[in-house]
Amino acid sequence: MLKIIKVTGESLSPLFLPGDYVLIRKYTFLFGSISEGDIVVFTHPSYGLMIKEIHWVNSELQQIHVKGSHPLSVDSSKIGPISSTDIFGKVIWHFKKPRYSA
Amino acid sequence: MFYKFIQSVDKYLSFSEAKAHCDVPCGIYDPSPAQINALTVVRMMDLMIALEQGEEKGRLEYHNTLSRYITVKEEHAEKSKHEIRVIWGDYIKDNHLEKYPELTVLVHKIMQLGSKCRQTCNREDGVAFVDAINQFAEIFWATKNVKTKKAKAPYAPGLEMVYPDL
Repeated sequence: MLKIIKVTGESLSPLFLPGDYVLIRKYTFLFGSISEGDIVVFTHPSYGLMIKEIHWVNSELQQIHVKGSHPLSVDSSKIGPISSTDIFGKVIWHFKKPRYSA
Repeated sequence: MFYKFIQSVDKYLSFSEAKAHCDVPCGIYDPSPAQINALTVVRMMDLMIALEQGEEKGRLEYHNTLSRYITVKEEHAEKSKHEIRVIWGDYIKDNHLEKYPELTVLVHKIMQLGSKCRQTCNREDGVAFVDAINQFAEIFWATKNVKTKKAKAPYAPGLEMVYPDL
């Protein structure tokens, strides 16, 4: 199933900026179909729906570590690894908000 | 075009939002970097004006130094805007806007002044940029019930700044 989600926050900048939209395919596949570099939307117990990049996947512990692309972004060392069951969907299309320069 | 279409659909359907916060979970926000970057912009303008009036004008060294000043001015104006955007986008909430409705216009003014400072070397714009960010800092600290004080920066260009009075 497909769903459109709006991005807020800057941790995936400059590729994804606040106000961008992403089309996600809901995660219904086996664990192995998520791999490093994929952008995923997942549910965090404290912070709700989040969007991050897959940093690495620990298949043995069934844990996924995520990261942002912004230098100030925090990664799994702060927010903790997530489980595959927390993953809501994988980004398959990106609708960029028009970028303006000064 | 696609974006505009999605955006108009969003207005009716209100798509879910996914956070890509940089700050989860530290919650550390501070307008000081924006203030220091804006001061740097004015400092670069002063240096550019002084260089233009100096004896080196027209020489290779002059062009090299001027280019460096311009580069730093560009970078710091943008860094300043970025810092304000992060606080604006990630920290400021509806209740802050209800209490300080002038914030919207103020943030827009900061964005505009930041761009002006990049496009030109008008010192008045630079000072206005610093002033606007000081006003933002005053409101920011007020949202945290932190008192502020005004004092001249202890370094050139020595403009009056807003500091938290801790």
